[in-house]
Amino acid sequence: MTRAAPAGATRTADPVRTRSSIKIGLGQMAASADPDDVLSALGLGSCIGLVMVDPAARVAGMVHVMLPESEGVAQPTPEGKYADLAVPALLAALRRLGADPGRLVCKMAGGAQMFARGSGAGILNIGARNAIAVRAAVQSAGLTLRVAQTGGSVGRTMEVYVGTGLTTVRTVGGTTQEI
Amino acid sequence: MSIDEGAAEAAATRTADPFALDALQLDALREVGNIGAGTAAASLSQMTGQPVAMGVPRVCIVPIEEVPTVVGGEERTVVAVYLQVVGDAPGHIVFIMEAGSAHDVCDVLLGGMPAGETGPQGFSEMELSALQEIGNIMTGSYLRALSDLTGLHLEPTPPALGVDMAAALLSAIVAEVAQSTDLALLIETEFAEGDHPSLGCFAFIPEPRSLEVVLRGLGLVA
Repeated sequence: MTRAAPAGATRTADPVRTRSSIKIGLGQMAASADPDDVLSALGLGSCIGLVMVDPAARVAGMVHVMLPESEGVAQPTPEGKYADLAVPALLAALRRLGADPGRLVCKMAGGAQMFARGSGAGILNIGARNAIAVRAAVQSAGLTLRVAQTGGSVGRTMEVYVGTGLTTVRTVGGTTQEI
Repeated sequence: MSIDEGAAEAAATRTADPFALDALQLDALREVGNIGAGTAAASLSQMTGQPVAMGVPRVCIVPIEEVPTVVGGEERTVVAVYLQVVGDAPGHIVFIMEAGSAHDVCDVLLGGMPAGETGPQGFSEMELSALQEIGNIMTGSYLRALSDLTGLHLEPTPPALGVDMAAALLSAIVAEVAQSTDLALLIETEFAEGDHPSLGCFAFIPEPRSLEVVLRGLGLVA
């Protein structure tokens, strides 16, 4: 028996970096103190993009949460995948870069119901649960959510500019909006 | 369960890692994809009256969160029709079309009928139901071919449709699948038609436990 694919080896929680733009894929997380960096989560559907910025320390981080709970999962990796693990992990990563939790501005986007049409519409509605779970995890980490642009049935691309803390959300056929 | 744990467990018991497939078994799954997609392409061709070509199916095993990257598209606007497979070998099927191709196919299908008011990304309600029906018919054909090959009872659930960024639609499906598995076996086939070298693609993600069922149906598991 040969292994079909190096499944274990391809598992990665490392975001893809191209120049100063860092793509945060599903379950991935990044924190940065480089003012030229832009962290982006492309096409958030039911997933949540959570951004934390410390404007004074000029550090920012983003995590791309996919599921509400790690409970009952034998090997919950990467930790960015689950709301309950993602929030403390992002907070810890930002603290290591010198962020003060008391100054952190938290914003989230996503949590949509992407398949809202058709005779089978309404399935795959994990987005709402993700939003609730991220909100709860932010709260139990002692942080406050400043902005939440969640729900509906629209995909969102979220970006944060580390140097300025500017956070934007873009939708299909819509404009880029600061949140 | 990690692949390593799975392998260790397989050595101890007979509950083998469902993803530990040999070359012959992977080829068989590719052939299933080939025959299924061929039947689906024929039914699309029947609807549009134009020949539909298909690529060689791709079979890969990837961490579930990488599925959107493997299928691709990112922020490109697409129409996705999602159906669950229920019965002997549960799984997930998604049919994805580029928005432009989807508009063209609708024009052919609806024969220039006034489409009425347009909704999301310029699609009218009539176009959206036509696209939903295309996904439904193609999936039905795919599953019938798979049933004929394996003797398994397989049925699609009613289709759900979304028009948005490819990554947003795919990741919503992935989140659903991820609740039961860390790895996914993806059988993906691309379609082409005349002016559209990449008309769309059809992806089938069987639940891990369905892999053995399908392979047994094909006579490839002792």
